[in-house]
Amino acid sequence: MRRLSQYITRVPLTPSYTKRLATARLLHRFNFGPTPGQFAALLSEDLATTQRTVLEHSLPDPGLDSLVAPNLPDLGPFPVANTPAATTFLDAIVQGQTELVSWWLDRMVASRYPLTERMTWFWHGHWATALSKVNYPLPMQKQNNTLRTYALANFRDMAKAMVVDGALNFWLDNEENFVSSPNENLARELMELMTLGVNKFTQDDVTAAARALTGYSTVQSNGNVTFDAQQHYSKPLTILGTTSKLDAESLAELIVSKHENAVFIADRLWFRFVSGTTTPPHSLAASFANRDIDSLVSALVHSTAWNDPANSLVKSPVEWFVGTCKALKVQPSTLNSGGFQWDLSQMGQSPFNPPNVGGWPYGQAWLSGVAFQYRFDLTQAIVAMGDLSPLSVPKSKMVQACADWLGVAEWSRRTASTLAAATDTPSEFATLALLAPEYVVSA
Amino acid sequence: MINCEFDRRRFLQWTGAGLFAAVSAQLSLDTLASAASSTPLPTNTPILVIVTLYGGNDGLNTVVPFTDPTYQSARPNIALPSSKLLPFTDALAFNSSIPEISGLYAQNKVAIVQGVSYPNPSLSHFTSMAIWQSASMTAAVSSGWIGRWLDLQPHSPFNAIGVGSTLPPLMVGDKSVASMVDLGGIQLPWGPAASLIPRLGRPSSSDVPLEGSAAMSMTDFYSTAQVLGPLVIKSPTGSFISEQLSLVSTLINANVPTRVWEVNLSSFDTHVGELEDQNALLAEVDAALGAFMTSISAGTRSNDVTVLVYSEFGRRVMSNAGLGTDHGTSAPVFIIGNTVKGGLYGEQPPLSALDVNGNLQVTTDFRDIYGGLLHDVLNTPVGDVIPSWSTALSVH
Repeated sequence: MRRLSQYITRVPLTPSYTKRLATARLLHRFNFGPTPGQFAALLSEDLATTQRTVLEHSLPDPGLDSLVAPNLPDLGPFPVANTPAATTFLDAIVQGQTELVSWWLDRMVASRYPLTERMTWFWHGHWATALSKVNYPLPMQKQNNTLRTYALANFRDMAKAMVVDGALNFWLDNEENFVSSPNENLARELMELMTLGVNKFTQDDVTAAARALTGYSTVQSNGNVTFDAQQHYSKPLTILGTTSKLDAESLAELIVSKHENAVFIADRLWFRFVSGTTTPPHSLAASFANRDIDSLVSALVHSTAWNDPANSLVKSPVEWFVGTCKALKVQPSTLNSGGFQWDLSQMGQSPFNPPNVGGWPYGQAWLSGVAFQYRFDLTQAIVAMGDLSPLSVPKSKMVQACADWLGVAEWSRRTASTLAAATDTPSEFATLALLAPEYVVSA
Repeated sequence: MINCEFDRRRFLQWTGAGLFAAVSAQLSLDTLASAASSTPLPTNTPILVIVTLYGGNDGLNTVVPFTDPTYQSARPNIALPSSKLLPFTDALAFNSSIPEISGLYAQNKVAIVQGVSYPNPSLSHFTSMAIWQSASMTAAVSSGWIGRWLDLQPHSPFNAIGVGSTLPPLMVGDKSVASMVDLGGIQLPWGPAASLIPRLGRPSSSDVPLEGSAAMSMTDFYSTAQVLGPLVIKSPTGSFISEQLSLVSTLINANVPTRVWEVNLSSFDTHVGELEDQNALLAEVDAALGAFMTSISAGTRSNDVTVLVYSEFGRRVMSNAGLGTDHGTSAPVFIIGNTVKGGLYGEQPPLSALDVNGNLQVTTDFRDIYGGLLHDVLNTPVGDVIPSWSTALSVH
């Protein structure tokens, strides 16, 4: 008896692999990865503590206090080309875009309760709108603020706000949508990509929804949307089996009220947070019955998915970048902005610039040799400025200490032996760890 | 000593089937690189170059049924005037933005397959592009058609190469994926960690499939970099598509052992301001293809190369008030090459018999085109890549 209890007190039970895996997954997928020490600390608690920790988003966030949003002016219409005014104007556009990207990445890294930023990032990919067409950073900043406001609120309210969002309206050509000649772009993508999913509506529904969206015009330079009742289609419309008079907001309300919306949004969250290959349990959509995003995310965090080895995901370039900056305590805006924003764009993921209205790719698509080439560049830049003190342990403990620092459930023998060969130089060691398949992928 | 190729095959089997036997041999980069460079593509081996136009290129303003009165009446605000047309039959004309393609057509080097789509075409960009790239009508198949062709080949990172950084779905198989090269050039990792980084690319018995893919992408990067690195030099000027195709022609002429190349161009989703935007995009594609064919024709691969140009759908026959068009259905596909039997294939869908949404009917299934290319260019029976499909449209 005595020997057994001595044994237990003297040799703490190593948290099981399953717990390490679930903890790592929750931190990386909902909080952009752990801060230094956080993973190890949470391993000594029960999983419920980790779940509570990653879900926290209502407390004041001191991490964000020092970050000031860029003050983006309304730059007005494009000046005449090849004039001094045009040069100044383009400089202002580029500077505003660069500041906006750095500011958001700073928030992702600095947030003490990162779920709001993480969800804003998810919704940005969901309501994918891009500077490539919108050009002006100001309307994108406004959209970003809207997405943040509703990131964990009610999806019905989010959809009503987004359907009259200036950047989205411009992006999907709604300023060219007239009663006499509808433009279906916003109507179709609203239903297909943002609320219902493909095959959940007919072409007749698209035609009618486009009419409901007439009468809105957007100021491209500031994203202000105005409504002109004279230009709006005012007769009753039949959409998804319901006939009523509709404007943009009541259209959004009607669509979101359909059960298919709950299934679609639950599926989208599963796809981006859990797995691109497995499917969610039916109960997940039920947790979204009131369209409460907070409840849906909470159901996801509390699901049993985290124990299933099949639910691995590739971190997108931004997720990998933010996680790396968090671990090494590097503020993105202090890096050379041309350098790191270029690398991210070469990897295929510039914030505020998704490739198309479908949002970002996923999974295997991020794992090209070319992405590796730019990931190495980013690693060099971040490690050079990073705090590597978590590696200040005896060499024999560095490999394990690094897994605990970065939130890696377990190194493979391949990676462990490679890291063990680099214990003389912490910067070299960190570079290898950040490029390792176990860190690039959330296994 | 275990043979490299054998290890890699076993690794692939494992990622595919969940079976794994411990692999301990190192993948020697020198061995891989020299194997690749010492095995140039044998002469007379056919090569496929795939050009994807994302967004839905308006077929009716590319190959124009200019004598059909409906063409003018349905899209009066964007119909091309006769001054912007290059007629090649009494009913069809090229948009004058594609003079190079028109010239190649006159030399019988362009096959135009008309009315191409699939049954019950989807008006969704993403569904339609997924169908084209997977060559499957069901979302249950996520692998691409070239990816499944790759699965049938002995593994080599050179089999298929895309230009860019993110893998397009058509190049992702169940076991194998294509490699990518970047226009910005190839730079190997440098600095103190550089000598150890390649070890991270080895397979490990504890890898989940995605970790295995991450590791393999690093190893494949090193093998391709050694061979392609000196060849990938950014062209000083030119449009995005011309830089991509210029890189591909350079690598083809260098006898890189690659059977399939992929390049792409976006922004064909011309809901507004179509004339200006589409004409500019088509002109870029046309100039790039013209230069590409000139370069290939001057080299030793003149008769080996076939180019496929397609988009996920055509556009609505009737234009909108925004001087654009909404999503449509069938459209022409171009197949270009010195050994292609040029001319018209399939039937032009009549503008007088549209579907309920005002869209063109489908007269050719795109899988027949793939079938022909698989047979004639990739020497593979279509059924091996597209299960239960057996018909093929040959243009060779």
